[in-house]
Amino acid sequence: MSAAIEVEGLSHVYGGTVPALEDISLRVPAGRFTVIVGPSGCGKTSLLMMLAGLRTQTRGSITCLGRPIPQPDPERVGVIFQEASLYPWLTALENIEFPLSLRGTPKDEMRRRAEAMLELVGLTGFGARYPHELSGGMKQRVSIARGLVQDPPLLLMDEPFAALDEQTRMTMGHELLRIWSTTSKTVVFITHSLTEAVYLADEVLVMSARPGRIIDRIAIDLPRPRTYEMMATEEFGRLRDRIWRQIRKPD
Amino acid sequence: MKVVAVRLALLALVLAAWQLLPSRGIVNPLLLPPLGEVLQMLGDLLQRAQVREALAVSCAEVLVAFVIAVPLGAALGVLIAENDYLGQVFKPALFVVFAIPKSIFLPLFILVLGVSFQQKVAYAAFTTTFVVLMSAAAAVESVKQDYLLVARSYGATQLQLVTRVYVPSMLPLLLETLRISMIFNFTGVLIAEMYASRTGIGHLIASWGENFQMKQLFAGVILLAAAAILFNEALRWMEHRVSTWRA
Amino acid sequence: MPAPATVRRALLVGLLVLWELVPRLGLIPELFLPSMSKTLTVLWHDARIYGHALLVTLMEVALAMLIACGGGILAGAAVGGFARLRNLLLPVVSSLYAVPIVILYPVFTAWFGVGSESKVAFAGIYAFFPVLLSTAAGIQTIDPQFLVAARSMGASLRQQIVRVVIPASLPTVFAGLRLGGALAIIGVVVSEMLTAAAGIGYLVTLNRTILDSPRVFAAILMILLLSIAYYVLSRALERRFVVWQSAGKPLQLAQASTQSTV
Repeated sequence: MSAAIEVEGLSHVYGGTVPALEDISLRVPAGRFTVIVGPSGCGKTSLLMMLAGLRTQTRGSITCLGRPIPQPDPERVGVIFQEASLYPWLTALENIEFPLSLRGTPKDEMRRRAEAMLELVGLTGFGARYPHELSGGMKQRVSIARGLVQDPPLLLMDEPFAALDEQTRMTMGHELLRIWSTTSKTVVFITHSLTEAVYLADEVLVMSARPGRIIDRIAIDLPRPRTYEMMATEEFGRLRDRIWRQIRKPD
Repeated sequence: MKVVAVRLALLALVLAAWQLLPSRGIVNPLLLPPLGEVLQMLGDLLQRAQVREALAVSCAEVLVAFVIAVPLGAALGVLIAENDYLGQVFKPALFVVFAIPKSIFLPLFILVLGVSFQQKVAYAAFTTTFVVLMSAAAAVESVKQDYLLVARSYGATQLQLVTRVYVPSMLPLLLETLRISMIFNFTGVLIAEMYASRTGIGHLIASWGENFQMKQLFAGVILLAAAAILFNEALRWMEHRVSTWRA
Repeated sequence: MPAPATVRRALLVGLLVLWELVPRLGLIPELFLPSMSKTLTVLWHDARIYGHALLVTLMEVALAMLIACGGGILAGAAVGGFARLRNLLLPVVSSLYAVPIVILYPVFTAWFGVGSESKVAFAGIYAFFPVLLSTAAGIQTIDPQFLVAARSMGASLRQQIVRVVIPASLPTVFAGLRLGGALAIIGVVVSEMLTAAAGIGYLVTLNRTILDSPRVFAAILMILLLSIAYYVLSRALERRFVVWQSAGKPLQLAQASTQSTV
């Protein structure tokens, strides 16, 4: 399996003085679901921004699908943020169409693709609603649909469910896995929730506190499709525990 | 620090322009006398009895109007904030009230009270009361329900709620209320004096303007602007002192 | 208890009834309070005069709005959008806010005379600073994540401005227009009352000095109607065009109360 993402010796320093990331190297094989966890401020969001082409690292290389990514490339890499950041003056459907409209895609094609995405995230019929008429979970679904509409092979997600209550989070996680299994994309997902990490991931990368380094890679061998019942198993608890101990370790 | 330096530089620039442009004749000195001459005139004016009397009258009007408006407005404001029903009835009306030029009622005050000290005070108090009302209502509403709940759950009496929760929580806002209300109050008095009066600094300024006595006019403008800014900054400093705990 | 809106309407009707009856019954002299019917009659009689005065006032308001909203919104957007400018100028502007701008009015009449120019200048400046402050504050409420999201979707700089910044600023711009118009009306009316030769405010003063109360009240009524009409119109426009904002922040009353010092 070829690597969808390769990061080599990446380091980053804020404003020339504050080290944020230290010597990060990782390989994400195509089609895998990778989760990154780490304490607050460890630089995981910065790393994601660099993978998305929204920020440039001080040192080291990043290749996504074999090419570097100096600028955002939404047809290659889709990004989903913690805040859905839907534009309040556009309907849900228009929000999904937005990236396509930036490229001058013809109207009927935009509509067709957006509606397909709406269906994929389970919101058929809600297209004409404005963001303020949608719940938190629904807004995130629209945000995911927007990130998927250009069918990028790579999907980066920065704590997309953090602002949701726990029950919605669990539902959304499950939905995300469903969507992922039908589209075979490569996903890099950041979260604070250890349960979420073990539930979703093929592999969990644990980062240390600032300056962030990768201190552990944990393969999650639980069978797919994942179910809620798995959360009660001993294996699940063991994996969670391992992550927790890694994060708690004083440096 | 750098920001303060830039601001001071801007101020110096403006003052220098005020001095140089008229004195060099680039701007007509009859329309805009050079700053130096204006300041000289200011010193002169402050020594004249007529000016001193006018200032005294205006001060008195400002104070009396303030003393009337603040308790009245505060009482009404607290009432609207505490009583949901009254709030619902009157708040939308208040929006409209603030969109109206209250100066149009000045003739009414003159018709009833004549051109007099009382009329000017009444008008200024009238305009200021609304502002105090709104600020007071906002101040009361700003006290977080959570704080009150905690105090009540510990058995605080009504008096204790007022003194131990409301007042400390509202203090910065109350000072801000005073500050902003004074701006309105001052304006109200000046407008009343400029409109129809034989006394007061507003009247003096208006008549200097009518008689093209530009030096005196600008001297008066500087004096009043300085007084307003000083008072404002003093209250702002006090606000700052009592709100160190605010986010 | 009856619905608040009903109470308000009842109070309004009550006031109008009092306006008619109290003077008629001699409870207050007609000099102080002419009855509503007298006022309306006079207004009808002199409709041409009042109409002409209204046009003068409206023209001055429109020009003042051009200065205040045009300049105020652009300056406010600049100040609000650029942190350096903001830190530099905002405290200065809010300090200047404490100065009663009316003191500048005699300066304007000395410079521009008693005609419309001085009114436009005064009302323009009067409305300018509050619009600037309001726009600067509004621009800052725009979620910076909007631009990050746009960039991540590959939007060019031009697209970011046209497709994100401008739509996101619309509520602020509309609020600025509403505020600027209201303040321009107030500024023009005050200056017309103080020294003028034309306009509705002038009619108030003129008739007051000859103790013609019905005509004074007629002029006051016109101004009231004008202000209220503008308020209603601008709110309606705002709701219509910024329909998605309706779920957002309702106008804060405390804010509204401190925007005009007159």
